[in-house]
Amino acid sequence: MNNKAKKIGLLRKTSKTFLSISLVLMLFSTIVLYFYVRTLLQGEIEEELRSTEARIESSISNNNPVYQLPPMVEVTTVPKIGKEHLKDTLIFDPSQNEMEDFRELITYSKINNQNYRITVRTLIVESEDILIAVIISYLIVLLSIFIFLFYFNKSRTQKLWNPFFKNLEQMKLFSLSSETPISLLESDILEFSELNTEITTLTEKVRSDYKNLKQFTENVSHELQTPLAIIQAKIDTLINGEGLNDLQFEQLSSIQNDIQRLKQLNKRLALLSKIENDQFQNLSACNLNGILEYRIENLSDLYAIDIRLKSENEVTLTMDAYLAEVLCDNLLSNAIKHSSPNTPITVILDKNSLTVINSGTKAVLKPELLFQRFYKESDHTKSTGLGLAIVKKICDLYGFHPSYYFQNNEHHFKIKLKNA
Amino acid sequence: MKILIVEDEIALLQSISNYLEKDGNVCETASSYTDALYKIDLYEYDLLVLDINLITGSGLDILQLLKKGKKETGTIIISANNSLDDKLKGLDLGADDYITKPFHLAELNSRIKAVLRRGKFGGTERIEFNEISIDTRAKTAYIAENAMALTRKEYDLLLFFITNKGRVLSKEIIAEHLWGDHSDMVDNYDFIYVHINNLRKKLTDAGAKYIKTAYGSGYKFIDE
Repeated sequence: MNNKAKKIGLLRKTSKTFLSISLVLMLFSTIVLYFYVRTLLQGEIEEELRSTEARIESSISNNNPVYQLPPMVEVTTVPKIGKEHLKDTLIFDPSQNEMEDFRELITYSKINNQNYRITVRTLIVESEDILIAVIISYLIVLLSIFIFLFYFNKSRTQKLWNPFFKNLEQMKLFSLSSETPISLLESDILEFSELNTEITTLTEKVRSDYKNLKQFTENVSHELQTPLAIIQAKIDTLINGEGLNDLQFEQLSSIQNDIQRLKQLNKRLALLSKIENDQFQNLSACNLNGILEYRIENLSDLYAIDIRLKSENEVTLTMDAYLAEVLCDNLLSNAIKHSSPNTPITVILDKNSLTVINSGTKAVLKPELLFQRFYKESDHTKSTGLGLAIVKKICDLYGFHPSYYFQNNEHHFKIKLKNA
Repeated sequence: MKILIVEDEIALLQSISNYLEKDGNVCETASSYTDALYKIDLYEYDLLVLDINLITGSGLDILQLLKKGKKETGTIIISANNSLDDKLKGLDLGADDYITKPFHLAELNSRIKAVLRRGKFGGTERIEFNEISIDTRAKTAYIAENAMALTRKEYDLLLFFITNKGRVLSKEIIAEHLWGDHSDMVDNYDFIYVHINNLRKKLTDAGAKYIKTAYGSGYKFIDE
C-alpha cells in the first residue's frame, strides 16, 4: 500500500467509475447510432431515387412526354450509355437562394432505341435533420436515464455502505481507556456483519489486554511499595538500635539509598504509564514563567548553582499543572546533573519555545537516543534514566516538539511549544 | 499523644508503633478494617495514621466515618499509590496529610508532629528544646530569646532535627525530607553537608552544640 498515494472516498470512487464507464458507453453508442441511422436514411433515399427513376423510365417507354423538373429530375438524350453513379453534390437552389446538398442518381438506359441519361436528385437536408433529431433525442433520453441512474446509484451505494461509514466513525472514536465497549451498527449484509464481529472481538481483546496491563502496572507499583516500606521502616529501626558499628551503618545507609532509587524508579514508571493512559485530564492555564521561577528558586536552594531565567513575555499554556511542573523540573534537573561544575545554567522562555542551556565539554554521542527510557550517556548511578523520557511523553501529549543540539560548548534542550 | 495506627502489614505496623512510642506517645494498632472501625467508635484519638489500601476494606471509608462522627482527630493517610487522585480524595475528605510508601519513620514522625501542632488537641505552635524555641507559625527559631538568622532550608532542617531528637538520621533521610523527589538528583550529598554545617555553625556559635555526628556519616540531635 503506497501511503503517499492520494486517498479518495469510497462513494466518490464508485461515482467516478460509474461516470467514466457511462460516458464511454454514451459516446460509443451515439457514434454507432449515428452511423446506423445514416446508413438507414441513405438506403431510404437511394430507394426513393431508384423508384422515381423507374417511374420515369416506364413513363418514357410508354411514350409519354419526358418529364423534367430540375434540379430534381433531368432527362437528356445522350449518344452513348455511361456508367451509373450515385453521389452527393452541391447545387444552387433558386427557391432557397443558396447552395444545397443533394443526393443524385445518374443512370443511363436505352429506351426505344434512344439513349437517355436520367438524373434524379433529392435534397438531403431533410434526412440530415432527421439524423440530428434522432441523435439529439437519443442523447436527451440517454442523459436523463444516466442522471437518474447516477443519483439513484449514489444514494443506493450510500445506503448500502452506511453501516460501514457509521462503524468507521465509531472506530475513530474508540478509546482504549473508555469504559464502554464499542457499539456498532448492525447490517443485514453478511460481510459487514462479519466485519462487525471481527472488530468487536478485536477491540474487546485489546481493551481487556489494556485493562490487564494497567492492572498489572498498578499492582506491581502498589505491591512493590509495601515491602519497600517495611524494609525502610526496619532499617530506620535498626539504625536507631544498639550495637551498630560505622561500617554497618554505612551499608544500611546505602540500602536506604537504593530503596529511594527504587521508589523514584517506580514513581516515574507509574507516571509514564499514567501519561500514556491519558489519565491527566485536568487542563488549566499554566503560567510557565511562574512555574519556572518557583522551580528555579527551589533548585537554587539545593545546589550552589546559578540558574538564570530569560523571558521576554509571559507564556501561558493549557495543560495539566502537575505535568507542567514535571516538565520544567526534569529539564532543569537534567541540566544541573550534566552541567560542568561552577557554570551557570540559562533558561530561555519565549512565546514559541523553552530552551534550557548548560555547559558541556562535548556533544551527546547519540542524541537520537536521548529521549528514550533508560538511556544514559554517563553513568550517573543515581539517575533513573527516565527524566527525559518523561519530558518526551509530556511533549507528545500536548504536541510540543523536544530537540537537542550542541553549540559553543553548550548543550541546548529546546522544547517547541504549541501555544494553546 | 494517643495515636491509632491502621495498617494491615504487621511488620510495618510494629515498626511505626515502636518508633512513635519512643517519643512517649501511646500507640494503639489495628490491622484490619473492622478492627479499625471498632476502635474508632470506642475511643478518642488525637491522631489516626491510616493506610488507605487495606485488604479488608477501604481506608477512605474509615476516614469518612471518622469525619461523620465529628471527632477532632488528626489524620495522616499512608498510601502505596503515587496516584494524585488518592491524594486529592484523601485531602478532600479531611485528611490532614498524606505520605507515600516507602517512607522514613522520621519523616512520618515529623508529619505527625506537624499535624498535631496544627490540631486542637494540646498541640502547640511553639516547640521548646532547652534554650532553643521555634515558633512554627512564624517559621522562626530563637536561641535564648534571640531570633536566629536561618535560611529556609536551615529552618526546616532544625525543625526536622528537633522533631526527631535522639534519633539517628542518615543523610539519605535528611535529603529526602528536605528535597523530596530531588534528593536523587546528584550522586553525592555535598549539598546536604553544606546546609547541615551552616546550621551547626549557627547553633554552635550560640553555644548550642546539639548536632552530633553518628557513625561517621549520620547525625543525631541530642543533648548530652
